Amino acid sequence: MSLILNNKLYNSRLIIGSGKYKNFNETKNALKSSGAEMITVAIKRTNLGQDTNQENLLNFIDSKKYKILPNTAGCFTADDAIRVSLLGKELLGDNLVKLEVLADKDTLLPNEEETLVAAKELVKLGFSIMVYTTDNVALAKELEEIGCIAVMPLASPIGTGKGIMNSKNLKKIIYNANVPIIVDAGIGTASDATIAMELGCDGVLLNSAIAMSDNPILMAEAMKYAVISGRKAYEAKRMEISDIAIPSSNKKNSIS
Amino acid sequence: MNIIVNGDKISIEKNINLENFLKLNNINNKNIVIEVNKIIITKSMWKEKKIKEGDVIEIITAVGGG
Repeated sequence: MSLILNNKLYNSRLIIGSGKYKNFNETKNALKSSGAEMITVAIKRTNLGQDTNQENLLNFIDSKKYKILPNTAGCFTADDAIRVSLLGKELLGDNLVKLEVLADKDTLLPNEEETLVAAKELVKLGFSIMVYTTDNVALAKELEEIGCIAVMPLASPIGTGKGIMNSKNLKKIIYNANVPIIVDAGIGTASDATIAMELGCDGVLLNSAIAMSDNPILMAEAMKYAVISGRKAYEAKRMEISDIAIPSSNKKNSIS
Repeated sequence: MNIIVNGDKISIEKNINLENFLKLNNINNKNIVIEVNKIIITKSMWKEKKIKEGDVIEIITAVGGG
C-alpha cells in the first residue's frame, strides 16, 4: 500500500506543491491536512534589501517530518535545470530532485529534448530524479531506462485544473513502467486525483488544485481521501462494465 | 567596485568577503545558497571568498512551487 521513492517508504501517495498559498501558515496547515509526506519547493533568487527577519518557507516545513523536494521550475534549458538541481542539493542536502524543463512560457509543457539531456547528465552526477514529462509513452520509458527513479507525466497543462485529458496514454505509460508513475500537473479537484489513482498511477503530485480552491485546508483533506479511495479501488479491481442491465437481487421468488 | 547580485548591478567597497557582504546588506544567512560566477560557494567558504570587480553573485533560497 506504500510508495517507495529513493529507498524511502511513504505511506501517502499524495505529493503537494508549496506554491500559491496566501501565506506560509496556510502552506503548513494544508500540508498537514493533506497527509502528504513530501512537498515540492522551487529554487529561486532571494528578495534582497528586505528585513533580515523576513520569514522563509523552509522555517514552516519540518524537514524531519516531511521530505522537501526541490524542483527546477522556471528552467527552459538542460543547463539551467542542472544548475538549479545543484543549488537545490546544496540548499537541502539531498540528491533527490524534481526535474522540470519547460518548452515555453505560454503552454508550460515539458521540453522533451532538454528534459532528456538534463536527466542523463543528472544521473551521471548522482542525482535521484523524479522527472516531469509529457504523456509521450516512448519518452516515459526512455526516462526510466536512463535511470530516473520516478516518471511524472502531466494530466493536463500546469495550473489549468482540467483534469485527466490523456487516460489512454497514462494507462500505457503505467503498463510499461518499472518505476513509480506519478501524475504531475493538471489535477483540478478530488475526482481527478481519484481517477488518476484508479488508472493505476503510483501517486499524484498537485499544487493549484489545493492552493487555488476557496478553502485549501479542506481541499487538502479531500485530496488525501481522493488518493486513498482511488488506490483502494485500483487494488480492489473494479467490476466489469456491461451493456445489459443486471438486477442486484436474485430473480427467484419474485412476486410477479 | 561594481558587481551583479541577483541580476541587479550594485556598488560595494573593495576587499569584502561573502560573509561580510551578507551582513552589510542585511541578508539573512540562513536557508540560502550562494553562487559566484556560476560556482557554488559552500557556507564554510564564505569568510574566505573575497568578492572581485564584476563578480556575478546569485543568492538562492527555496520558495513556493509545485
